[in-house]
Amino acid sequence: MTPRIEVSDLVIRYGDVVAVNGVSFSIQAGELVTLLGPSGCGKTSTLRAIAGLEDPSSGVIRLGGQTMYSSAERRNVPSEKRGLSMVFQSYAIWPHMTVAENVAYGLHVRKLPRAEIEQTVRRVLDMVRMAGYADRPASKLSGGQQQRIAVARAIAFSPTVLLFDEPLSNLDAKLRTEMRVEIRELQRQLDVTSVYVTHDQEEALAISDRIIVMDHGHIEQIGPPETIYNRPNSLFVADFVGAANLIPGRATSPGSFETTGGLTLSVSEPASGAGTTVALRSSYVELHPDSATPQSGANVVRGTIHRRMFHGDFIQYVVDWPAGQLIVRRPPTELIAEGAPVQIVFSPDHCILL
Amino acid sequence: MRALLRGVPRFGIAGLLMLLVLLLCASIVLYPVVFIVAESLNVGEPGVFPPEQLSLRNFASISQDVGVLVNTLLVAFGATVMAVVIGFVLAWILTRTNIPGRTRLERLMELPYYMTPLVGAMAWAVLAAPKNGLLNQVWHGIGGRGDLFNIYAPLGIAWVMALFEGTVAFVMISAAMKSMDPSLEESSRVFGAGKLRTALRITLPLVAPGVLSAFVFVFAEMLGAFAAAFVLGIPGRFYVVTTAIWEATQSFPPEYGRAAALGLSLFAAMVVTLTISKLIMRRGAYATITGKAFRPRPIDVGHARWPLLAVAWGYILVSVILPVGALLLTSFQRFATVNLADSVFTVSNYVTAMSTGTLGQAFVNSLILGLSVATIGVPVIGVLTWIIYRSQMPGRTSVEYVLMFPQAVPRLVFGLGLLWAWINIPIPIYGTLWLLGIAYFTVFLPLGLRTMAGVVLQVDRSLEECARVCGASWMHQMRTVSLPLLRPGIAAAWLLIFIASVRELGASIFLMGPQSKVISPAIINAWLSSSSELSAAMAMILTATVFAAVILLFTVARRFSGAREV
Repeated sequence: MTPRIEVSDLVIRYGDVVAVNGVSFSIQAGELVTLLGPSGCGKTSTLRAIAGLEDPSSGVIRLGGQTMYSSAERRNVPSEKRGLSMVFQSYAIWPHMTVAENVAYGLHVRKLPRAEIEQTVRRVLDMVRMAGYADRPASKLSGGQQQRIAVARAIAFSPTVLLFDEPLSNLDAKLRTEMRVEIRELQRQLDVTSVYVTHDQEEALAISDRIIVMDHGHIEQIGPPETIYNRPNSLFVADFVGAANLIPGRATSPGSFETTGGLTLSVSEPASGAGTTVALRSSYVELHPDSATPQSGANVVRGTIHRRMFHGDFIQYVVDWPAGQLIVRRPPTELIAEGAPVQIVFSPDHCILL
Repeated sequence: MRALLRGVPRFGIAGLLMLLVLLLCASIVLYPVVFIVAESLNVGEPGVFPPEQLSLRNFASISQDVGVLVNTLLVAFGATVMAVVIGFVLAWILTRTNIPGRTRLERLMELPYYMTPLVGAMAWAVLAAPKNGLLNQVWHGIGGRGDLFNIYAPLGIAWVMALFEGTVAFVMISAAMKSMDPSLEESSRVFGAGKLRTALRITLPLVAPGVLSAFVFVFAEMLGAFAAAFVLGIPGRFYVVTTAIWEATQSFPPEYGRAAALGLSLFAAMVVTLTISKLIMRRGAYATITGKAFRPRPIDVGHARWPLLAVAWGYILVSVILPVGALLLTSFQRFATVNLADSVFTVSNYVTAMSTGTLGQAFVNSLILGLSVATIGVPVIGVLTWIIYRSQMPGRTSVEYVLMFPQAVPRLVFGLGLLWAWINIPIPIYGTLWLLGIAYFTVFLPLGLRTMAGVVLQVDRSLEECARVCGASWMHQMRTVSLPLLRPGIAAAWLLIFIASVRELGASIFLMGPQSKVISPAIINAWLSSSSELSAAMAMILTATVFAAVILLFTVARRFSGAREV
């Protein structure tokens, strides 16, 4: 099956700066794929190149098998001819139009009959739960409302590809999690192929079918959220996505790792890197009372609770252990006093050798 | 444009086009300067290009103009001190205290600038001339002896310059005060310092670079000021550099070499001072400019707010109400007097002003020029703004530098250069409105560019990009998104250029011919050769025109900011 979006060997330069350095990936129809990475990693440039808003230096971009950009063929289809749609970080709501005029823009451009436009606008505003706002001036909306209108406008003309450029970064935390659910819901409902740019790893994990982790203009890892979280293939991904302990040391024999503190751990994964670090997610570590009987098949190490921070949804412990300090997250029911001795228990499966 | 050119080799056509734009801008802006330089070195027949004999003698003979230079420095310095003191006090009152009606007062502070130095100087001449100045008449009327004021003196010139050319001091200093993070002061209070200590140790040092920079900037402006020194200095044969340049061109044979040498020296002095001002601003930037706009918490000044309010209104009184009142009164009288019982009221001054062939024609000419320069200039400047701030074209920063160049050249000197430049081109436009139109367009490039840039930069690029992604072509996007959003800014730029053109004096005074008179120089001529009552009527017509445009401008600005606030 031809991928809906295909990017190969994309390079984008700004003067001497290489923003995107040879990026390739493809996205199947109906997928929601996230470009995740810190600011300056090239994710937004990649998205804008797909939209036709950025002139790449070389590479190929295909949409539904049709070449939109190709440096070899000297082809660069302008934005408006690519048939895609986009939700901007700033929302880009036109302040001189009403809500309905904003939403209808893409339909007017396509010269659809008036009745159809009106019907579509009503339907789309309904979908984003802004039905009562059609005749409001767009400048008199809150951030969250503008966000909904931006989404409504983007989906109104039934684009085959939908691009999101950090759409939620200007909203407050609570609204952000709500909108995350709604966007995912809409995307499933419309079955529209989507590319979503964010620097928020939590958002990426929650919303995506697959995640593309980027850093310094190249791709670090591509995979479903669970894989990215459980099986990071580089130090960068382990560190950037989720909360992980990075334990320095060296691999001594297959399945065994010696930390700088002289502690020997059982690890499962063959090293994908130099084998000098073990990544251990803080949620995968259990803490048991010192007196409990050790479990078999697991790494068991003695330690002491150094500091306890109550976060509500979880408790974060800083635990002193032979290899230094370990960050551990436990459910709020597992309350242990500071200074208490504990058994630290974690499975070799969760020790990712990098 | 970029989209239109997409698909063609990037540096081919775009680069060529850019080179063409750059050359065109450079020729229109820099060409006149070449003539000033050439003339300043010319010791042969004046006004012959290329000069037959070259020498530095014109520069050497500046030493004979020491008196003029001293006058210039004295007046400029005095005016600057006054302007900065006034500006500082007003800025502090209007940004940092809780006096009633601050927002409206802040708006009114712009009016003196629109009064123009020419009208201001004439109004103050009517008010404070020795013997029959209106204020002196009042003084005599209540039994005072001698004259209370004499505006025809260096101090009077400096006073008028401070009032009508120094308004930028207020703008710059209040900008510095507004951009100060109030938490800097608040933290001083939290750490136990009192109001006074905070003001001296925190506020003053933080605002100081802004004030100093404003001082130097205003000083540069004052060096190049012309109208006040002309109206109030010429009768007493008191010359500053600008009026000396004018006088040199009027003598027979004209001392063009001397005028050009003086002009170039003035230009050099202004460039140096403006650079210093910029450096101070940049070095002081650590303190105040954080990029955010703050509205510092006003200090509760208690009962002191009534005297402070009086100070603010006092400024409006001496810079707007009294001058306009004096001109209004005088313009409707046969002989200017404050004794209303004796006065003979008449509209004949206005009738004369509008009907006397050349005077009425001058007003019509100015209107024609204002309308056409603004109407043609705005789209051209719009395209240039777009090239500089929105396109990716190579060399766009050099275009900006070239276009901003006229800002540093005193208008009078630029006018001289334009005169020689266009006389020596075999296109017969000297003595026509065309020459004035080209000159206005050239000298107002920086003004137009700054206004339009402010507007263009306010419109987020993604608003335009979104239209394209939604499927709109470049033309459609321009029509439905860009132009509607830019409309208020375009209107403001149009009005500003219109106002500036209608009141233009410095360049016009050299460039107008017998068949192409314009209003400001015509008012000066009337002032020097006929009655002050007639000139007052003409000044009122000019002021009314400018104020009408200003009211439109404020309306546009309010609607614009109103739309953006929500």
